[in-house]
Amino acid sequence: MMKKPDLKVVLLGDMNVGKTSLLHRYMERRFQDTVSTVGGAFYLKQWGPYNISIWDTAGREQFHGLGSMYCRSASVIILTYDVCNMQSLVELEDRFLDLTDTASDDCIFAVVGNKIDLTDDLEAAESDGERLRRGSATKLRKQVHTEDAIALYKRIMKYRMVDEIHAPAADKMCFETSAKNGYNVDLLFESVFNMVIPLIVKKKANGPDDTVNLAQNHHVKKAKSGCC
Amino acid sequence: MDDDSQQPQSMQAIGVELSEDNGNEMSSEQKNIEASAAETKADDLVDANPNQKDLTDSDNTLEDSGDFPGISSVMGGVPSDVSSPTAPLQREEDVTAESWRTKRKHVFVLSEAGKPIYSRYGNEEALSSTMGVMMALVSFVQSGNNSIRSIHSDKQKVVFLQQGPLVLVSVSRAPQSEEQLGKELQYVYYQIISMLTQASVARIFERKKNYDLRRLLAGSEKILDSLLDLLDTDPGFLLGAVRCVALPCQLRDSLSSILTKAITPNLVFSILVAEHQLVTVVQERAVIEDCRLDPADLHLLLNLIGASSAFQAGEIWTPICLPRFNPDGYFYAYISYLDSSCTVCLVLLSTDKESFYAVSGCKKKIQEAMEAQNSLQALAGALRCCSYSVSLVGVPELLHFVYKPLDIPDIYRQLPQFTSPEPDGPYSSEEERQRLFDLYRYLHCRIHSSARPLRLIYHVAEKETLLAWVTSKFELYTAFSSLVTKVGAINVITKLLRWIKREEDRLFIRYPPKYSTTPVPGKGVKSGRTDRTDPSQNGFFTGL
Repeated sequence: MMKKPDLKVVLLGDMNVGKTSLLHRYMERRFQDTVSTVGGAFYLKQWGPYNISIWDTAGREQFHGLGSMYCRSASVIILTYDVCNMQSLVELEDRFLDLTDTASDDCIFAVVGNKIDLTDDLEAAESDGERLRRGSATKLRKQVHTEDAIALYKRIMKYRMVDEIHAPAADKMCFETSAKNGYNVDLLFESVFNMVIPLIVKKKANGPDDTVNLAQNHHVKKAKSGCC
Repeated sequence: MDDDSQQPQSMQAIGVELSEDNGNEMSSEQKNIEASAAETKADDLVDANPNQKDLTDSDNTLEDSGDFPGISSVMGGVPSDVSSPTAPLQREEDVTAESWRTKRKHVFVLSEAGKPIYSRYGNEEALSSTMGVMMALVSFVQSGNNSIRSIHSDKQKVVFLQQGPLVLVSVSRAPQSEEQLGKELQYVYYQIISMLTQASVARIFERKKNYDLRRLLAGSEKILDSLLDLLDTDPGFLLGAVRCVALPCQLRDSLSSILTKAITPNLVFSILVAEHQLVTVVQERAVIEDCRLDPADLHLLLNLIGASSAFQAGEIWTPICLPRFNPDGYFYAYISYLDSSCTVCLVLLSTDKESFYAVSGCKKKIQEAMEAQNSLQALAGALRCCSYSVSLVGVPELLHFVYKPLDIPDIYRQLPQFTSPEPDGPYSSEEERQRLFDLYRYLHCRIHSSARPLRLIYHVAEKETLLAWVTSKFELYTAFSSLVTKVGAINVITKLLRWIKREEDRLFIRYPPKYSTTPVPGKGVKSGRTDRTDPSQNGFFTGL
C-alpha cells in the first residue's frame, strides 16, 4: 500500500491563473509552459518526517463537480487568482468557496495572487539584470490589490464561521507570487506547511492510530469538536 | 416530405447533397454493386492507365461501373491539393486573411442556436457570422424535413454532421471522401463527449438553448487541435485500429501479468502506454464480458493524455467518458508516468470516483513489480528499436505498407490493431508523408465505398504504385516503387505476408489477458456483476 499522507493541501482557482505553474516551480524549481490540467493531479512532498499530499486541481468549469472530492478533509486550501485579472478573484468567492465545505474544520486558507511578474509592482523584488533583460516591455496594470485579497480572506473566515482571533492573520495568509521567476513561491508553500505541522502533531496525538488515516479524519475531528 | 428540397441545388460547380436525394435510384444501383463485388476475384487485377495521373474513377476499378458522383468529385483536383501540410496552429489568426481561407481543412463546432463552440483556426468569436451562415444552411434544409450532408465545389467540400444539439462542419480541400470527413467529425464529437458526456451536453441545451458551451470546453481546445492533427497523420483513426509497440512476446506477457495482479474493486481497465502507443491492455473479466474496449475510445483516451500536462511526479485523476463504451457515463482515469523521461505511462480506469487512493496503491504495486523484474529497462530497450523500417522486410521494391489483421479469434475479443513501418526513404519529408497518407485514404475510400466496395485495387500513381487488398484475414495497403510490375507486386506481397506472419507475436497483442477484481469465482463473480450494472453503485452515472 502507499504511504498514507499526513496532510492534504489543495490548490484551487480559475483556469489559467497558474496553479500548475506554481506547483511546478516549487517542486521542480523551474517554469515551463503548461497545458490546461485535466481533473486533478496528485503530488507527494516529503517535508521533514511528514508526507504532504498536494492536489493541483483543474480550474476549468468542466471539472467543477470534482472539487469537493479533492477538498475532502483538506488541511490547507490555497485559493489562487491572477493579479492582472479581477474576475479570477471574484470567481474564487463565487465558484470555489463552497467547494471548501468538505475541508477539515481547522483548515488553513491562503489567498495567492500569481503572475505578479507581469505587473510593474514587482520592480523592487526583481534583480536589476532581470529588469534590464526585459527592458521596457509593456507591463500590465495590476487589477487586484493586496487589500482586495485581504478583504476576501476575511470574508472566507466569515463564511467558514471562524473567529478572526483564532485564524492566522490575514496579512500573513495573502501572498503575491510569480511562478515565472519564483518570487515568493517557496515562502508560500513553506509557510503554510510550517503552519499546519502543529495541527498534524496534535491530530496524531489525538487520533486512535499512530498514523492519520484520511478515511477516518472525520471521526477524529468530531471527537475534538465535541470536547471544546 | 417536400420534394423541392431534394433537388440537388447546384450553382455551376457547386452541388449540395441531401441525405435522401435519389433514394430509390441509389438502392437499385446498390444491389448491382453488391453483386459485382461478390463476384470479384481477389486476383483480378486491372491495370490503371499509367499515362493518366489523375485519380479518376474509371481507370482502376475491377468492373466496369456506372457513375459515382460522390467519389469522382472527391478526387477532383487531387494532384494540386495533395501538398500543403498543415501550418502550425494560430488561434489568434486573422479570419479575414487569405491564408485563413486557404487552409487545407477547417473544422467548426457550433450549437443549434448558431453559437460558436470551436474552430480549428482563428478565434471562434470572430467567426460567429460565418457560423451563423452554416447554421442557416442547416436549418433551411431542416425546415424541408431533410438534412444537409455536404456541399461540393471544385476545390472544396463542406461536410455537415449533426449530433444532438451540436453541429459539426468540415470545410476541406484535402482529397478525402465525404464519408471520411464525416467520420472525422464524428471523432471530434466523441472527443467532446469524452470530456462532458452525451447526457450532460443534451441536458445543458435542453435547459438553455443558447448556452455557451465554450464555458465548459475552455482549456480543451488543445485536445481537439491535437486530435485533428492525429486524424491527418495516424492511419489508426482511418482503419479503426490501434498501433501497438512492437515488443518481444515474453516481455509483453510479463508486463500484462504484472497488470493483472495489481487490482482493486471497480478497476476495469489497466492500460500501459509507451510513447503514445499501446503496450498492453488488461480488462476486467466480468464487466467486459460482452463488450470490449473500442479502438476509437482508446484513440480518444491517448489523445487526451498526450495533450494534457502533468510533470513526472504527479498522478492525475480525472473523469473521462468512453463514448463508444457508454456515451452517458464517466470512468475515472488514473494517469501516471512510470519513468523520469515520461515515456511510459500507466492508465487505470475505475468506475468509482472515490477510489483514487486504492488505484494509486495499484500503481505502487505495478511499479514495484516492474522494478523487481527490471521491466522498465527491458521496455526502454525494446522502445529504442520498436519503430521499424520497411527495409526489415527485405524487399527493395516495397516502399511502405499498412497492415491490419482481421483473423484474430473472436473469443479473445481483441482490440483491432494495425502495424506499419516508420515512413522513411522517399517518405521522410512531411509533405511526402501527407501525400502517401492521402493516397491510402483514397484507396481506403474506394475499398470501403458503401456504394461499391472493392476487394483489390492496383493503382498506378505519379510517383509510386499502390496495391490495396482486403480479404477475410487482413486489410493491406502497400506502396511500391513505380517500376514494379503486377506480378512483381504480388510476389512482394507474398513475401511481406510471410514476414508479418513470422513477426506477428512481436507486432501485435495476440492474447489479451483478463483479470477479475472479484476474488472468489462463481458466486462472487456473479454478485460483482450485478453490482456493476446497478448505476447507483458503480459510479458510472454519478457524473450526470
